[in-house]
Amino acid sequence: MRVLLLGLTLLLFQGVSFAGDPAKGRAISEKGVAGAPPCATCHGVDGAKPVAPENPILAGQYEDYIVRALMDYKSGKRVNAVMKAIVDPMKRKDIEDVAAWFARQKSTLHFQR
Amino acid sequence: MKTRNQIKAVVAVSLSLFAFAAAAQQAPQGDPKEAQKKIAMCEGCHGIAGYKTAYPVVYHVPKLGGQTATYLVNALNAYKQGQRSHPSMRGIAASLSDKDIADLAAYYSTATGEGHKK
Repeated sequence: MRVLLLGLTLLLFQGVSFAGDPAKGRAISEKGVAGAPPCATCHGVDGAKPVAPENPILAGQYEDYIVRALMDYKSGKRVNAVMKAIVDPMKRKDIEDVAAWFARQKSTLHFQR
Repeated sequence: MKTRNQIKAVVAVSLSLFAFAAAAQQAPQGDPKEAQKKIAMCEGCHGIAGYKTAYPVVYHVPKLGGQTATYLVNALNAYKQGQRSHPSMRGIAASLSDKDIADLAAYYSTATGEGHKK
């Protein structure tokens, strides 16, 4: 019974949609958090035109994937010194906001078979 | 705190640019046509619109079409070298040669739409 309840709780959490606010995400993309360089510096304001090819296009990427990637940088599960320094001062809500912003922008990024 | 984050990021950017410049010199040229024989292993997840990862952590697998080739090469190498940790991606990346990685990156970065196959 307890296992079932735990399972149901987990499912519930995963079913909850992200409450990111794209407008707040845009502000973070332009200004950064706690003095860390803003996203726009490397990825472009809307995430569609990165300044260098090693920086991924974020515009139009799945929102939950962006959240996952940033949380993984934060926890160290995904190793990248630049992103670690930038994500460290961000709260989960900041991460959800920037993900909501970038996911709603247009770029060459698309689903590809 | 403010300055420390800035310095950390600037130092990290410089280091990664240096590493990138060093790696770029020996990277093979990617061929999207060659990738046709290799995308079968990608399609099972990335080739299904809206496909999500399996329990316990569920999220959409990323869109790859139109992404920058350099980022895709770096991502696959990061899985290969253990800097990224998704189990299936680590397994797949470990089986890829530098040429395979370059070809796949060329394929996805130059792709233009759902039915794109050349």
